[in-house]
Amino acid sequence: MALNELNFKYKVENPQSIAKEYSHLGVVGSGDLEVLMEKKDFGGGAEVKVVTPVTGFDKVWEMVVTKFVKGNNLGDLLIEINDNNATPVVVSMRLRQALAEANKIEKGGE
Amino acid sequence: MLSWDELQKAKFTEANARERAFGLVDKGTFTEFVSPRDRMPSPHLPVLGEAIGYDDGVVTGIGLIGKRPVFVVSQEGRFIGGAVGEVHGAKMVQAIKLALKAYEDVKVKYPDSYEERLPAVVISFETGGVRLHESNAGLLAHAEVMDQFQDARGKIPIIAVIGSKIGCFGGMGFVGAATDVIIMSEQGRLGLTGPEVIEQEMGKDEFDASNKALVFRTTGGKHKYIMQDANFLVEDSVAGFYQQLQEVMKLPFAEIEKFRRIGSKKLVEEQLELVKLAVGLGAKDSMDVWKYYGNEDPAKLVDMGPDEFLKVAKRRERKLG
Amino acid sequence: MEREVRVWDNLKRDTEERMKKVAHLVEEGKVVKAENTVALLEGVIKPGDKVNLEGNNQKQADFLAECLCEVDPKKIYDLHMVQSVVSLKSHLDVFEKGIAKKLDFSFSGPQAGRLADFVRDGKLELGAIHTYLELFGRYYADLVPKVALIVAFEADKEGNLYTGFNTEDTPIIVEATKFKQGIVIAQVNKIVDKVPRVDIPADWVDFVIQSPKNFYIEPLFTRDPGLITDTQILMGMMALKGVYAEYGVQSMNHGIGFFTAAIELMLPTYAEELGLKGKICSYFALNPHPTMIPAIESGWVKNIHCFGGELGMEKYVAARSDVFFIGPDGTLRSNRAYSQAAGHYAMDMFIGGTLQIDKYGNSSTATANRVAGFGGAPNMGCDAKGRRHSSDAWLKCGLEYGMQEALLGKMPRGKKLVVQMQETFKEKMDPAFVDELDAWKLQKNANLDIPPVMVYSDDVTHYITEEGIAYFHKCVDMKEKMAAIRAIAGYTEIGLQAKEEETMDLRKRGIVKTPEDLGIDVTRANRSMLAAKNIKELVEWSGGLYNPPARFRNW
Repeated sequence: MALNELNFKYKVENPQSIAKEYSHLGVVGSGDLEVLMEKKDFGGGAEVKVVTPVTGFDKVWEMVVTKFVKGNNLGDLLIEINDNNATPVVVSMRLRQALAEANKIEKGGE
Repeated sequence: MLSWDELQKAKFTEANARERAFGLVDKGTFTEFVSPRDRMPSPHLPVLGEAIGYDDGVVTGIGLIGKRPVFVVSQEGRFIGGAVGEVHGAKMVQAIKLALKAYEDVKVKYPDSYEERLPAVVISFETGGVRLHESNAGLLAHAEVMDQFQDARGKIPIIAVIGSKIGCFGGMGFVGAATDVIIMSEQGRLGLTGPEVIEQEMGKDEFDASNKALVFRTTGGKHKYIMQDANFLVEDSVAGFYQQLQEVMKLPFAEIEKFRRIGSKKLVEEQLELVKLAVGLGAKDSMDVWKYYGNEDPAKLVDMGPDEFLKVAKRRERKLG
Repeated sequence: MEREVRVWDNLKRDTEERMKKVAHLVEEGKVVKAENTVALLEGVIKPGDKVNLEGNNQKQADFLAECLCEVDPKKIYDLHMVQSVVSLKSHLDVFEKGIAKKLDFSFSGPQAGRLADFVRDGKLELGAIHTYLELFGRYYADLVPKVALIVAFEADKEGNLYTGFNTEDTPIIVEATKFKQGIVIAQVNKIVDKVPRVDIPADWVDFVIQSPKNFYIEPLFTRDPGLITDTQILMGMMALKGVYAEYGVQSMNHGIGFFTAAIELMLPTYAEELGLKGKICSYFALNPHPTMIPAIESGWVKNIHCFGGELGMEKYVAARSDVFFIGPDGTLRSNRAYSQAAGHYAMDMFIGGTLQIDKYGNSSTATANRVAGFGGAPNMGCDAKGRRHSSDAWLKCGLEYGMQEALLGKMPRGKKLVVQMQETFKEKMDPAFVDELDAWKLQKNANLDIPPVMVYSDDVTHYITEEGIAYFHKCVDMKEKMAAIRAIAGYTEIGLQAKEEETMDLRKRGIVKTPEDLGIDVTRANRSMLAAKNIKELVEWSGGLYNPPARFRNW
């Protein structure tokens, strides 16, 4: 019954981290998830941790996450996902939104 | 996340807990306590195979409204219905404790001008009460929050903000009712037993939970405002609640105390009279009660926008000594 | 030459005989008391009759349906029910009780599971499952009703009927029945001195009964904007940019789901931003969707013809007679048959959600144990082969048609846009793309002749998933179509079979377009795109004219 935890590690060419030190997006609602991104000195590598009640879709998780990390050349970055039965489309969408949020340049006064 | 300015224009019903926490205090002043980066999920949910969240469904933190430090608690209805578990409850309690400490500190640091710097607690409720997965801890948290309310009594105002989708129900309905000031939108709901449970226990004739309009008429902001359960009714926007909070912050504590519905012998008597009235009136619909309080055409009030409603709605008169 | 003497008015004589038997039940004019309804039915119906019981996905002749269940099965049996919809319990109870035997219908909704059981257990002999227009057509061929049990809001004592906002199927049923010497019985909410408008003239109606309760209407087309998800918004943006704008689609029918509700709510926002106002979405065959209010109020829509009504929209529609079809009395007249005809022949596009898509691109909403039927969707969701007028969108789609030359040589011809939307995974990771449709299982379970397919692969022109749009009609053969399906099937088993070089080639040739190819910023796909975020805001947009049913009110 315990939660399913998945860990993935990546190393891409010319990796890019995020602009902010850390960034958080999303709510762990039904069919949704939260994404925490944190700048880390991983020697260029990227690490992803997924915690989900869903079992039997580890391969799909890996493909979705791999496509995201490689597609965006991410490195020196820790991504943590707490999921509650989100479909792959919601996962990819939230990851993209989280990355945009993590790279938002803060304007003064906010 | 939306910027503070964008948030002000946003619907309160659309805003998540974190957005509400940011938007209910002055621009750029909010700092979160135990944020998601601190990773403080429920220790109980993983054992049950239930999804976890790094904030355990509640955002706490501190911001300013004018010169006053405001301690914010904001519940997330999308995470297990905003239900209160151990971590969630501890965060609520700790935020109020910090507010009380700030009260003492401010008095020491600004002996001559502490009144304009007095802290306040704002709780944006969105919850069905106890989280059944960790019910003992959740129940205890309810009691502890109430305990903190008692400690805060006469020192710092506790202000309830109710306007999110889930409303404020279950044990948290008691907690909400025990605050000093309640601000609601008409979409906000406050009650103890949820409509479905009432229907299940008492039958469809007593309360038809599928009749959403009836459910909202009975537990929603307009009814609570007419009954004086809610002190203020605002429009469904973050700005609506924020601006009302600004107004409340200007009031001296003696005025705040008058907003309370329970907490003294007199107030209990007032409540008991209401119970008598409820039995005597035999109301079938909240509109019957609205009529009793002088609203000749209560059906008209249902669809009225908040501005017009506030102009024409007649409320129960309170007997304040 | 000697001619055989033959009687040519048997039907009429038969009807007259039946009418005589029940003459004593008639009060003033054509009025029969509610408590005499069962006796009336026993008098006018004979075993083996074809009986039409009016009802569709909205209004229901529910009182007459219940009365039909109470007739004596020893006197009345073996009826052949011909009706649009099987959706009330009573619709199947007549079979359970042995009063009816055979069924020809179009759509079943809530009774779909029980219907499948009845067919399998031999309690019911299934004629065929139709689309609405198909069934209406057969009312004038081999399925002419002998008795029609219909429903209206009001009647006068002479039998003039007011069907108003929910006229729907009534005219087409009554005309088929009455003009073939049949008998028409109407239940009405109220018998009045004068009806607001005559929708069915008195001499086409034989009996009117004031029912004890108002007839049931289902608010089928109300979608709460509060429930629209970010994914639906993303796919709506893709549809607007990749299909509506791409083809300049001016006339269309929308499905009833959340995808099209999202699109309707993005006309005044995203579509406005794309500069599409006036260029798309002027004409609709559509029920009065509450989610259309912001677009109508923003001046997008010229004309909407309605299949049926929608609860709560009465006042709003009446106040917008430039847009809707309003009678001299000031209320809407819907008409399912005409709207279906418009949807089939006059609309350039059908767009709506589906449930399952197979590897060939056939799309179906059937599940293994429910005989849900079709309604009107297949009639909207197909190329009208008899269409001869042209429009820009229709021509452009035809020019792109990959099999055009193989079928017609060098002859130009347009093609209707038939757009199906579905996320690659439904809730609980249930894949939308499958090797074999559940329709095949249903065929076995319910003994159907063929698997019930909502839209066939050769009619679909566009599939939209969150992964991309497949411009399906551009494919030259089934092999290419299957590759296009794989390319947008995401992480489903079907999608995982996609080959990268194949998908890249399809993208290069514009047969597949991803959100990036379409220039859509995925991070913008959120609820701030919606012109109204809840039912309350729809009421505000309508200036207080929209009056949503209680179950949709959260205030």
